[in-house]
Formats: sequence, structure tokens, C-alpha cells
Amino acid sequence: MIQVAGLTKRAGGTQILRGLNFEVAPQTVLGIIGASGSGKTTLLRCLNGLERIDGGAIECDDVRLAAELAPADYQRRVRALRRKVGTVFQHLHLFPHLSVLDNIIEAPVHVLRVPRTEAEARALELLEALGLRSAAGRFPESLSGGEQQRVAIARALAMRPSVLLFDEPTSALDPRRSAEMRALLRRFAAEGHTLVVVSHALSFLIGLADSLLYMEGGEIVERGPTDQLLAAPQDARTRDFLQQAK
Amino acid sequence: MTKSIRCLCGALAALLLLTLATGSVRAQEQPVLRWGADPSGGAPYVFADPARPDEYIGYEKEMVDALAAAMGRRPEFVPTDWETIVSTLQRGSFDVIINGLEPTADRARQINFSKPYYIFQLQLTVRREDERIHTLADCRQRTVGTLGNTAASRLLAQEAIPFRSYADPVGAYRDLELRRIDAVLMDVPMEMYYARQNPRLKPAGAPFQRGTYVVGLRKGDDALKAQVDAAIDKIMRDGTLERILRKWNLWDDAQAELRAQLEAPPSASNSNTAFDLTNATFNWPEAILRLTRAACVTVLLAFGAMLIALALGMPLALGQLKGAKWVQSICTLYIEFFRGTPVLVQLLFLYFGLPALGIALPGWLTALVGLGLNYAAYESQVYRAALEAIPRGQWEASYSLGMTPVLAFRRIILPQAFRIALPPMTNDFVSLFKDTSVAFAISVWELATAYRELANATGQFMLLGVIVSAFYLLMSLPMAHLARRLERRLQRRQTVAAVQAEVAA
Ligand SMILES: Nc1ncnc2c1ncn2[C@@H]1O[C@H](COP(=O)(O)OP(=O)(O)OP(=O)(O)O)[C@@H](O)[C@H]1O
Ligand SMILES: [Mg+2]
Repeated sequence: MIQVAGLTKRAGGTQILRGLNFEVAPQTVLGIIGASGSGKTTLLRCLNGLERIDGGAIECDDVRLAAELAPADYQRRVRALRRKVGTVFQHLHLFPHLSVLDNIIEAPVHVLRVPRTEAEARALELLEALGLRSAAGRFPESLSGGEQQRVAIARALAMRPSVLLFDEPTSALDPRRSAEMRALLRRFAAEGHTLVVVSHALSFLIGLADSLLYMEGGEIVERGPTDQLLAAPQDARTRDFLQQAK
Repeated sequence: MTKSIRCLCGALAALLLLTLATGSVRAQEQPVLRWGADPSGGAPYVFADPARPDEYIGYEKEMVDALAAAMGRRPEFVPTDWETIVSTLQRGSFDVIINGLEPTADRARQINFSKPYYIFQLQLTVRREDERIHTLADCRQRTVGTLGNTAASRLLAQEAIPFRSYADPVGAYRDLELRRIDAVLMDVPMEMYYARQNPRLKPAGAPFQRGTYVVGLRKGDDALKAQVDAAIDKIMRDGTLERILRKWNLWDDAQAELRAQLEAPPSASNSNTAFDLTNATFNWPEAILRLTRAACVTVLLAFGAMLIALALGMPLALGQLKGAKWVQSICTLYIEFFRGTPVLVQLLFLYFGLPALGIALPGWLTALVGLGLNYAAYESQVYRAALEAIPRGQWEASYSLGMTPVLAFRRIILPQAFRIALPPMTNDFVSLFKDTSVAFAISVWELATAYRELANATGQFMLLGVIVSAFYLLMSLPMAHLARRLERRLQRRQTVAAVQAEVAA
């Protein structure tokens, strides 16, 4: 579960996020849509603590990160938050000097101190489930874009996060792979994860997201159950955006 | 356009005429006697007048003036370097060496000598409070400082007493004061001028081991040799030399003996050998042994300095990249200072300057630390560039997996940066190998110093040069090779793993 209240973020003198309020129910998928530069990526970066928030609070399970915390306390909470939240970056950021298997077990072994053999067994399971079992010994640069993305997903899952953040998961995928990715993400939700997915591709979110959130200029214009928001958008700006997206 | 060219031509023509005119004026003058000597730390032979630094004084300066007058020539002084003085004479930079030159056997193979004009003795000097050393024999287990390539240094080598060569007497006596060495063995004239007045030093025992000073001439310059010999005869007979030596407080019984010999002509030519203590001849096994020892010093210097550079470079790079503002400024200041000033100057400062603050490191340690500090500045920039080349996403991916900055740095950033830094690091290491040669400035007996000394002693610049170059290559090539292999292995590991995975599948 995630709860965001009054979240603001400034950078370089401009207000990038202007007081966001929303929550994501456990084991559901939230799709975030919005024009380029509306602040979607920044929002995700706040949710995993890469950006320091300037106002408001983020709550995830029993971790509450609030802007007014003292720096040391804030830093501790960020670390706790990151244990709950897994991120799949738009540009993946796989570790190029490590094999696929080592990419996945790196954090479990050195952060969670899981014994190596145990971590490896679990990593192979994840790879198996993602159809990448045979790539375990290869290095990221030799994989296709889609394969690399699944490695990044396995790397995030290996930390057993309750929340998964995806930034533009379909930017490197063809339509068929997109459909497979949608099914995969659906499965994660069914298995108990809470998902936040940022995507330009509205068609990808349809059938995946339980609810949608439309952002513009660092504000939430409208949010609601997917069917409802698509069928009857309340705000003129949402209508415009959906019009153009179709 | 044409006008300015014409102007230029005119100016050039005028200049040409002027030089021709002054040239012809010179030609009408007496022939010159160009004499070479090392004026740095050269008292009382020839040295810059402390009162008027653009003029040279010294007993040999006055003697040359007298000799030249006797020869009907105009003296022209050519300042040169003591260590390479014989080779410089051979390449024709001047006509004679007059610099307290001893007629050693190995020099006799390279140049001719005049008859002797002075008999010197050696004096051992120790610290005022030293009660252990009274004679040279007491120095067997200690280090004695002396001037490189002199009768004194040859005597020490012959007696198998550990010694360190200096480029000038000042450095030797200073190191004696600073306890870097235990005694100094030097010709009496120098000892009188540089040590006798020093309250912290005292002579150990009486002067001993006579030797002669002669004028050095190129082989084949027989006419000049006859002139020089005749001139020496003349100034000895007419008392000019005695007057000069007395003025410089250098006249003693030995000089009277030398003049007495002059009165008995037949034995005059024998005097060379009669007084020659410096028969130490050069042998190749010994030379190779000394070169090998010097090469070991070079290797130790290079590795030690590189270790310091690698260890210190990382905190510097991190300080500059991630430190607080004041840490950044300090790191930048350090880096710019060490990169912006010559390493030679830094070494001289560490060696001669630091003792003023009470820190007197031995020469080899000074060289090791100095080169290490210097290269740390360069390595930090290599690291910095490598660290900056790692995309920010690598940090962020690590953080979002729950890693601390330290863990992310150690496991994710550093291994990638290392790969980028390896080629420039190898480069730096090879050039550090060569830069160890600046240590000769502070009398560390490494390979370049050894080359200079041995080659000067023998005149074998070519052959020894080839051998020394081979030593350097023997040391640096394996390094470069090793680094290249490591680089290739790191690169190939990825492709090999990929291929293996494919084969296994
Ligand atoms: N560190 C920063 N300093 C200044 N401006 C920033 C900073 N980070 C983001 N911004 C600005 O904030 C706005 C939102 O950026 P963000 O990347 O969140 O947009 P986005 O919705 O993800 O866009 P896209 O769909 O193109 O990925 C942009 O105008 C961006 O230029
Ligand atoms: Mg974005």
C-alpha cells in the first residue's frame, strides 16, 4: 500500500510537483499518464527516495517518510522505504561488469546478507519464471532490450519488495512483447505486489491498471478507476489528453 | 608590405655588420684560453663571488689568470658540471680543465694531464659530538659522504666503505649535520672552506693520502700541453702560485716539496705517479653489479612511490568529487600544486627545505615520498575521470536496491572505474619508472645516477647507455605487458562468458 499526501518537489527554482495526494490499494496497479514534462518520473523518484521531498509525506506499509524529518532520520527512513520499493528504471541501469546472475544476487547477498547459494537458487527461479534461465551466465550488453528489461525486473524482485515502480516499461518493446509484459505485470499484482506504472502508451495500461492518474504541470488533474476515467473524464484537460492519445 | 620587408632586411644587414665588426675586433685580440670548471659549491677553487654574484673568484681563478698571462692568452671561463667535465672537454666545449682535477688512471685513458700544480690531502669530517670515528677504518659500517667521481670517492670504493656521492660539498656537509650520513671525506681545500668554520662539525684525525691536481687537456693537444706545462713552471718559479695559495690559506709544506721537485727536473715527470692514490681502475663485473644494485633501487622507488600514489590518489579524487566545499578546495589546491610545479623542485624542497622544520628524511625515503605525493596528484585525476565516466544511473540503481553509498562504491562503481582507469594508470607507472631518475638530484644511487657516475668515470657513455636503457626496458616492458593482459582479460571475460553460455545452451 502507498499513501501520498501533499507531496511537493522543487528543483532548480521551479515547482515540479505541486502537492500530490493519492493512494494505491494493496495488490492493485496504478497507471500514471500525462504529457512529457508533467512530472511522472520525478514522482517515481520521490517514491523510492532518490529525490528528497520538499513537502508532504509518503507512506508505504509501516514506513512514513515526511519532508520535515531531520536529515539523519530522513536518511534512515529512505533506506527503510527502499526495502519496500523496487524500481525498474526506464533505462534499466543494469550493472555492465556483472553477469545476469550476479546482477540479480548482488543486493540480496550484500544488503540482505542472504547466503550466496540460496540467493542464486532464488535468482535462477526468477529467471526461469521470466524465461531467461539460459542467460544466467551472460553479460547484460549481449542481451536484447527486452531481455535486459526482464533482468532488471528480476533484479528488483530479488529484494522481495511489496511495491514495484515501472517507468515507461514498454518504450523498448514491440506490440507483442508489450502484451506479454502486461500479462507479466498483472501476474505480479495477483502474486501480492502493488504496482505503479508510468506509461505514455494508454493502450498498455488498459487491461493492466486498476486505476489511472492523469498529471499535468506537476498536479493531479484527475484520478479514478480505469474504466470510469476513460469513459467519462470529468476535467476538460483529461478529455483533451485522452482525445489525443487515441 | 614591401616597405616593412625592406626595413627588416636593413635591420638584419645592420645586425650582421655589427657582429662581423665585433668578431674582427676579437680576432685582433690575443688567442683565448677557454677553461672549464664547476663553480657550484666550487669554493675555494672557483665560485661565484658572494658579494658580486656575476663574478667568479677562487684560487684557481687567480691561478688561471696568471697561467694565461704567462701563455700570452686571454682566459675565458666556461662554467660546467663536475660530473661530466671530462666528456665536456672531449666534445670541445673548452680547451682545458682546471678544477682540482686528479690524474686518475681511468681519466688518463681519456685525456692528457699537465704537470701537477698542487698537492692535496684528504680530510675526514664528523659531527662535533661524534666520538666513534677517528680514522677511515672506523667507517666500515657507516656511510661516508663525498664528492662524486673524485679521488676521495675512489678511495672509499677501493676500501669498500659505504659512501654516498654528492654533486657539491655543501650538500654533503649539510647531510652530515642532519645525521643522514656519519662522516664526510673531502679534499682539504674544500674541507677548509666549507667545514672548518662550522661549530657543529670537527675534523677526525689529520689530513692523509696525498694526491695532485693537474690541468686536463684533450689527447693530441700536445702543443697546448707544452704551453701549459711551461706556464706552470713559470708561475711556480717566480712565486706567483705561492702568493696566490698563501692568499687563500692553502700553502703548506707539501707545496714547498712540489716546488723543490721542480728544481730537480728528471723526477718531475714521475711526480704524477708518485702522488697518485687514485689508481682505481674500472672493471666490468663491478660496473654491472653496481648497475644492478641501482636498478633494484629504481624498482623499489617506483613501486613504493606508485603504492603511495594509488593509495593517496583515491581519497584525493573522492574529496574533490564528493567532499564538502573546504575539502574540495584543499584537494584541488594539493593537486594543482603538485601538478603545476616540477617534481625536481619538490624533491629538493623535501630534501633540503623540510630539515628546517625538523624533518630530515634519508634520500631514498625523500625520493619515494616525493614521487608518491607527486604522482598521487596525477592518479587522483585518473580516478576522477574514471569515476565521472560512470553514469549516475549506476549509483541510483544501487541505491534503489538498498545499497549504502559505501557498498555501491565498492561493489558497483569502483570495479567499473578501475577498468577505465587501468590504461592511463599503466602509462603513469611507466613514466614514474623513468621519473625515478630525478632522485639523482638528492644523491640517491638509482639507475640514472649510476649511469652518470660510471660513464663519467670511464667515458663509456655509449656502451653503458645501451646497458642502462636495457635495464629500464627490462623493468618497464613487463609492467606494460602485464597491464595490457589484465586489460584484455577484463574485457574478454564478458565475451567469453557469453560464448560459454551459448555453447552450454
Ligand atoms: N533536477 C532538476 N532540475 C530542474 N528541473 C528538473 C529536474 N528534474 C526534473 N526537472 C523538470 O521537471 C519536469 C518534470 O520532469 P519529469 O522527468 O518528471 O517529467 P516526465 O513526466 O517524466 O516526462 P517524460 O514523459 O518526458 O519522461 C521537467 O520539466 C523537467 O525538466
Ligand atoms: Mg519520464
